[in-house]
Amino acid sequence: MIDLHPLKLELVERISWLIRLRWVAVASTLAGIAVARLVEPALPVLPLVLVTATIAFYNALFVLYARSLWRRRGTGLRRRRSPTFIAVQIVLDLLALTALLHFSGGIENPFGVFLLFHVIIASILLSRLASFGVALLASTLYAGLAFSELAGWLPHIHLPQLADPWRYANLIYVAAQVTAIALTLLPAAAMASSVAERLRRRTQELLQANQVCEINRSELADVNERLRQLDAARTQFIVMVAHELRAPMGAIISALNLVLGGYAPPEKQREVLERAQARAYELLDLIRDLLELVRARRIEGPAQGVPVRTEKVLENVLGLLRVEAESKGLSIEVKVAPDLPPVIATEDQLRSVWTNLISNAIKYNRPGGRLTITLTQDGDQVVGAVEDTGIGIAREDMPRLFEEFFRSTQAKAMVQRGTGVGLAIVKRTVESYGGRVWAESELGKGSKFSFSLPKAPDELATASLEDKQELS
Amino acid sequence: MASKGKVLVIDDDPDFCEFMRIGLESDGFEVLTAANGKIGLELMRREKPNLVFLDVVMAHPTEGVDVTAMIKEDPELWDIPIIMLTSIMDTEYIGHFPTDKPLPIDQFLTKPVPMAEVLRIANETVGAKS
Repeated sequence: MIDLHPLKLELVERISWLIRLRWVAVASTLAGIAVARLVEPALPVLPLVLVTATIAFYNALFVLYARSLWRRRGTGLRRRRSPTFIAVQIVLDLLALTALLHFSGGIENPFGVFLLFHVIIASILLSRLASFGVALLASTLYAGLAFSELAGWLPHIHLPQLADPWRYANLIYVAAQVTAIALTLLPAAAMASSVAERLRRRTQELLQANQVCEINRSELADVNERLRQLDAARTQFIVMVAHELRAPMGAIISALNLVLGGYAPPEKQREVLERAQARAYELLDLIRDLLELVRARRIEGPAQGVPVRTEKVLENVLGLLRVEAESKGLSIEVKVAPDLPPVIATEDQLRSVWTNLISNAIKYNRPGGRLTITLTQDGDQVVGAVEDTGIGIAREDMPRLFEEFFRSTQAKAMVQRGTGVGLAIVKRTVESYGGRVWAESELGKGSKFSFSLPKAPDELATASLEDKQELS
Repeated sequence: MASKGKVLVIDDDPDFCEFMRIGLESDGFEVLTAANGKIGLELMRREKPNLVFLDVVMAHPTEGVDVTAMIKEDPELWDIPIIMLTSIMDTEYIGHFPTDKPLPIDQFLTKPVPMAEVLRIANETVGAKS
């Protein structure tokens, strides 16, 4: 993986570039020798060609080595060995250039400045320290060549057409030339490597910035999508609420129109108005549900409650919903464990939890089905559950069950009207008292909704019970 | 008082059915009510009403529309005038309508309809037929 890092990959690519460049250098050198021979008959062609052949030979070896290195993909070997490989190539190139210079007039040869190329290549491909090393080596080799010829340790090959025959033996000239070369190579290494380094750093920064941008972009897209869905759900909710409000409102207006317009005979007027009143209450219930949802949504952190007896609230709720259940032919089974502790909540909220769960179980049950309500204690939690034998919930709908405004596909198909708010209220309410809600379901078989609420602390529970006894 | 004619109200809102019954009966019509399309069709076949008030959106958004299609396919029922009622007020529900063919109905009204209007239509339609 790291092996594919763009910067490292670039280094690997540069090795091929260096090898290709060397083939060009070999060809140019041969051409240069041919041209120079025409101008300068004293040029010793054989040693020059031999050195050039040596360059071609080791370049061929480099090609083979590079291939074997490429094949070991992903081992990290390529990455670790590449800088050393480049350094070896540059050192060999410097030696070869020095040899070429020696056979073509030494210090008399103006092509000594070619050493600069190697320094620049090293600066681009290697570290700053390594490029300084290369500059120093190049300067040393040049100085070594010049002074060896000056001292007579190496034979000097004089090129009469090119320079004054004794120039190579002029100490001042040699010193000046060597200094000029060294003073060119070392600052060149500094400049080129600092530029190269800055480029590398910039590239690295850009790559990182790009990655960060990429991450931010996908996060933003996610957030945007969630907001869009929420907004769509809200809009749909408003439309749904408007429809829901319109039905009872229409009925109330029709009733009033009937009475005020004198279309209802006196003995029917009371019935009409009573029906209108019931629809007005229906409207009020709907509005209360909406407000309850808004309130449940606003609660941040633990809510303030009092000790409440879950089984008492359940009894009340069942008293109200039993008729509805029986009209659908449902059999209701209630199993309440004895001596349940009270929980912390408000009676209103607990009633809304039970009402929502039980009326769902009635609404989405099959006619003649079963309704099982259990209330037990599990450690310091009171656990309530409502199980039905209804339509059930598809697996893909389960995670969204407690989302506001969400209604499952099956629920929509079975009961057209519904705000999709009930379970959201249950979840918000129970969780605001440190409880938990969960659902189990099998499509077509039925569903079981459960909630747990922490029991009230003992001292609170006894205090509240004593209050009640004093009151009664 | 002799009946002016038989009117059938098909609507899943029992209050609405009752209000229509009270209003129409006070004007001398005989009124039948049905809570869904199926019962409505049965009543039509059995009672042959002179006029039908039909709600569009019942258990299914297009239940009323489906009922009209079945009425017009039935040679015994096809000439019974149908007044369609709806509380539709946005395009989302209207999207459920089969827009490629005209609805085989006589009039389209938006709830709530003033009783004066209901009676005017009932008198005109039943009067014209009889």
